[in-house]
Amino acid sequence: MQLEEIKKLATLARIDMSEEEMTEIAHDFDSILAYVGQVQEVAGKITAEPIHTLTNVMRSDTVTNTPGEYTEKIIAEMPDTENGYLKVKKVL
Amino acid sequence: MIDLKNLTIESAHESLKRGDFTVTDLVNTYLEIIKEKNSDINAYVEVYDDALMQAKRAEEMFASGTATLMTGIPVALKDNMLNVGHIASASSKMLEKYHATYDAGVVSQLKKEGAVFLGRTNMDEFAMGSSTETSPFGITKNPLDTSRVPGGSSGGAVASVAMNGALVSLGSDTGGSIRQPASFTGLVGLKPTYGTVSRSGIIAMASSLDQVGPIGKTVRDVEILFNTINEYDPKDSTSVPKDERHFVGTKVSSGPRASSPDHSETFVPTPLRKRIGIPREFLSGEGIDAEVMKNFNENCQKLKDAGYELVDISLPLIKYSLAVYYILQPAEVSSNMARYDGIRYGLHEDADKLFDVYAKSRGKGFGKEVRRRILLGTYILSHGYYDAYYTTAVKVRDAIKAELAEAFESVDSIITPTVPFLPFKFGEKSKDPVAMYMSDLFCVPANIAGTPAISIPSGKNENGLPFGLHIMAPLFGEETLFAIGKDFEKRV
Repeated sequence: MQLEEIKKLATLARIDMSEEEMTEIAHDFDSILAYVGQVQEVAGKITAEPIHTLTNVMRSDTVTNTPGEYTEKIIAEMPDTENGYLKVKKVL
Repeated sequence: MIDLKNLTIESAHESLKRGDFTVTDLVNTYLEIIKEKNSDINAYVEVYDDALMQAKRAEEMFASGTATLMTGIPVALKDNMLNVGHIASASSKMLEKYHATYDAGVVSQLKKEGAVFLGRTNMDEFAMGSSTETSPFGITKNPLDTSRVPGGSSGGAVASVAMNGALVSLGSDTGGSIRQPASFTGLVGLKPTYGTVSRSGIIAMASSLDQVGPIGKTVRDVEILFNTINEYDPKDSTSVPKDERHFVGTKVSSGPRASSPDHSETFVPTPLRKRIGIPREFLSGEGIDAEVMKNFNENCQKLKDAGYELVDISLPLIKYSLAVYYILQPAEVSSNMARYDGIRYGLHEDADKLFDVYAKSRGKGFGKEVRRRILLGTYILSHGYYDAYYTTAVKVRDAIKAELAEAFESVDSIITPTVPFLPFKFGEKSKDPVAMYMSDLFCVPANIAGTPAISIPSGKNENGLPFGLHIMAPLFGEETLFAIGKDFEKRV
């Protein structure tokens, strides 16, 4: 795999990485993709229909905790706050 | 001095009830061992400072007659399980200072029983690894041979029990992360059926595969801990309500069920069909040690001696499980890891532009293996490759599920070794990702199919390195695993 492709993936995934590491990843990907590529050989021989076992697990939209029960704890984990609000960079 | 080496949940419970020792004595004995051994083994990332307070609460339960089998039992948690007020870091710099804001489902169930949490144990970062070498908080050593890995990702969870620094522990298993390390440290490890144990408050890795399970020295200890956490939890959308858990296979036990104080159910047992399948061609692949196969053949003889019938079965698709796994798992990883953006919690690196806040926080917070898997998952899910990899892997996964379900119509369980090789030396496989991934060859099919599987110690080689027997059962067939496991355990 080309280094340029890895750079594009790092941008898509929002991860800052050194060029050295991306070169190493490009090399690893070749062996990993060669290994997982086995699934393509066998997939053509599979005739079974896909299994659909999903069921709806949505609950009704009601409040299940006491108001403010987690507020303090969650705010305490925020890197930057102002008057009980999470402070973020300007988006627009 | 309490003999921790031979202590089981039931023997500890009897002693606590009789007053041979108190919960405080028991917890102090474990804390002494941890103090003595943890600086070398590095099983624990943190020993909780409230263990003795928890012990006092457990003593009150004994005094008031409300104690259950798990009351006062010292348990180690994996570092990806939320225990409110305590740090839960998934052994990542990203969450190094993150304090849990609520209790994981399994943590609150065990708190209710009065179990004592000793601390949180080291793991591969975000559970991505098979040797506990990817933790930024140092490697964990195998207590049986400190020059070797304890396996992973639940390396600290097994090491804590193997060094007698906890009576039992909880791990998580996405592709063998409970069973492979249990095998590497001579312990019993169970990956329960997908949907039996709550994952609320467990730091997710690959959500269609992750499952929490118990680790202990005996099958019975693992069974007791499983019975305690085997609860439906509406906070986990994949948790299966008890009345929808349909076991398809030969019933190990049937008849009237009544709840006993330890939450296990009492059964009127009917005999197992006692027929076990061996996927012969799966065992003749490359990379399986001759020593491991020799031990496996001896294990087969022991099961025959115990009255089991062993039959060869054909599972032509099972060998593709690992390839399927290394497509689905990084794909789900890349999506699950997206939540760590440096904005709401976790590591934050400041920058002028928002994009750079994300990229710098994630670049610094995630370690090398995590970064590699996120990129791999991003590739697999990207336009142009999605069908070739992801869609294809889902199709093969369904076919593997169907193949296993069909096999379980003629056998009660399927056995293999747990790991194709013995515990390896540090650094031996970290340069070659595919070689490392091979350690989960036999464990992964159970995650792919959602079925339960257990690893049971099956002896040691002349250098004292442990072997493991891996047993798989149909969905919701944990009882089958415990029944065969107990029969086998007696003969090792």
